[in-house]
Amino acid sequence: MFRYFSLAFKNSLRNRRRSILTISSIAVSLCLLGVLIAMYHALFFSQETPGQALRLVVRHKVSLAQPLPVAYEDKVRRLPGVREISVWNWFGGTYKDNRDTKNFFARMGVEPKPFLRIRTQMEMPEDQRRAFITDRTGCVVSRDLAEKLNFHLGDRITLQGDIYPVNLDLKVVGIFYDPDALDTLFFNYDYLRDALPLGRRNFISVLAVLADSPDDVPRIAQAVDAMTRESSYPTKTESEQQFALSFVSFIGNIKLFLLSICAAVTFTILLVSGNTMAMSVRERIKEVGVLKTLGFNNDTILGIIIGEAITIALIGGIIGLLLASFLTIGVGKAAAAFMPQLNGLSITPITIVIALGVAILIGIVSSFVPAWNAARTNILDSLRYTG
Amino acid sequence: MSEAVVKTNRLSKEFVRDEFHVMALDEVDVEIHRGDFLALMGPSGSGKSTLLHLIAAMDKPTDGQIEVLGANLRQLSDKQIAHWRNEHIGFIFQSFNLIPVLTALENVELPLKLTKLGKKDRLAHAETALKLVGLGDRLDHLPKQLSGGQEQRVAIARAIVTDPDLILADEPTGNLDAASAEDVLTMLTRLNREFGKTIILVTHDPHAAKFATTVRHLEKGQLLPVGALPADWSSAIAVRN
Repeated sequence: MFRYFSLAFKNSLRNRRRSILTISSIAVSLCLLGVLIAMYHALFFSQETPGQALRLVVRHKVSLAQPLPVAYEDKVRRLPGVREISVWNWFGGTYKDNRDTKNFFARMGVEPKPFLRIRTQMEMPEDQRRAFITDRTGCVVSRDLAEKLNFHLGDRITLQGDIYPVNLDLKVVGIFYDPDALDTLFFNYDYLRDALPLGRRNFISVLAVLADSPDDVPRIAQAVDAMTRESSYPTKTESEQQFALSFVSFIGNIKLFLLSICAAVTFTILLVSGNTMAMSVRERIKEVGVLKTLGFNNDTILGIIIGEAITIALIGGIIGLLLASFLTIGVGKAAAAFMPQLNGLSITPITIVIALGVAILIGIVSSFVPAWNAARTNILDSLRYTG
Repeated sequence: MSEAVVKTNRLSKEFVRDEFHVMALDEVDVEIHRGDFLALMGPSGSGKSTLLHLIAAMDKPTDGQIEVLGANLRQLSDKQIAHWRNEHIGFIFQSFNLIPVLTALENVELPLKLTKLGKKDRLAHAETALKLVGLGDRLDHLPKQLSGGQEQRVAIARAIVTDPDLILADEPTGNLDAASAEDVLTMLTRLNREFGKTIILVTHDPHAAKFATTVRHLEKGQLLPVGALPADWSSAIAVRN
């Protein structure tokens, strides 16, 4: 079949304007498809980082908005397999002007000492670690956040409370890098707790747990949830990766959402390229008759026409994937703050395989009917065809 | 006498268009021998192209038998016919019918793609065929960059590149000026005389027919006896005399 490739290729570019428009529409659609597949893959199939594989998050079974009693911290710590545990409190609040999306980042109250042990992949100089432990008003910010908002060591940051009726006046004592915590500020939970009214001091958002080994993770999750099942504050314990995914689910059924858009995009390209192929084949019915006169049989003609459509779809697909590889970088950076899984979003080999597979499928499906009809047309009818 | 490459027995073809039945060929018996250069003449609708199409297995007869190069065409499957046509038949159309996106060389190479030849050999054969028709300097030209006569010569090169036993030409000079037509007919004569190709030329041009060694006339689907002319021709000649 490869000996007919040059014929298929030249035929596919016969009407340059139409081919360019078709290739462009396929490229744009497959670019979108590539980004969506990359997002889907990053959200639901990405590998856990070594740190994530050991970490669990304990939260209220009903929702994240429901608090947990701080007493759970000691109970969970005593469970076998638990190496470390820390309070992990979502502060919310406002930094400067909330309308500027740049000022939106995660603000968490943690217990510095255990927290630093739990974040096994966190990179931060030793003196900054010590400062975070000792300075009650100290906070540490991720490197990307520091670059974005121009934070430096010693800078003062004021967070205005909304969930909590307090304002926090923090001092940047450390700048860290952690692949699982981007666009994030951590501060000392004790500082928040002391500022709270007495009634709220005994409650926290979630607990972060570090297990001895990945094998302990499911066991601990089961044990914690079993322990609290009959209490007034039942828990849901999940791996850190699953916990992060639960944030995504706030948006809705993101899986269905992404798959629906993918299906709609694929169907639309199918219609566009189907129309193009029908036009293209109709214009060349007479040539099909000539090829048959030269000895080409129906199957070969079918293959050549489908080959043309696949060529167009693949050119569009490759251009689309190139565009997508640039677009994913931007999407990953923009979305990493509220979907950490999308940090470093890129077009993976599996995305390339799926997108090019879709391109080939589009080529085949869009051209099969016109190709079949052309190939089956009687040789003399083909030669007499005038369009 | 040399072997018969085309042999028909009561060959008939009836077309049905809507409710009308048209007898395009009516019990035609003809034998064409290897090395013949036969001109099939007749007015429009006389059935000459239909006979040519049946010989090339581009159409199926309604009745009768047709044997071309020893093959009973009615017994071959579509796939076998396509292969047979590629191997044994070279077809020249009135309107050239070159593929516009391919160069002269690629157009001529096209039938060879169905053979087992490698690309290098295919191109070498195609180049030889083009040189034979005097277009060795037009290999990379697209059809739109050639004159009508040159296009028809490319079509002839495409028809002969597989070294077929039988060359069928359907009004090959119909779209050409007198000089180009003369060139094409001379070329066909050369193919017949120098290379021994059997040629069947369909034409309604008496001048073109003069290049053939045998002329047969068809009238209303019937093949007239050797030497016989259609009724209107006979009366025209009588009036002139």
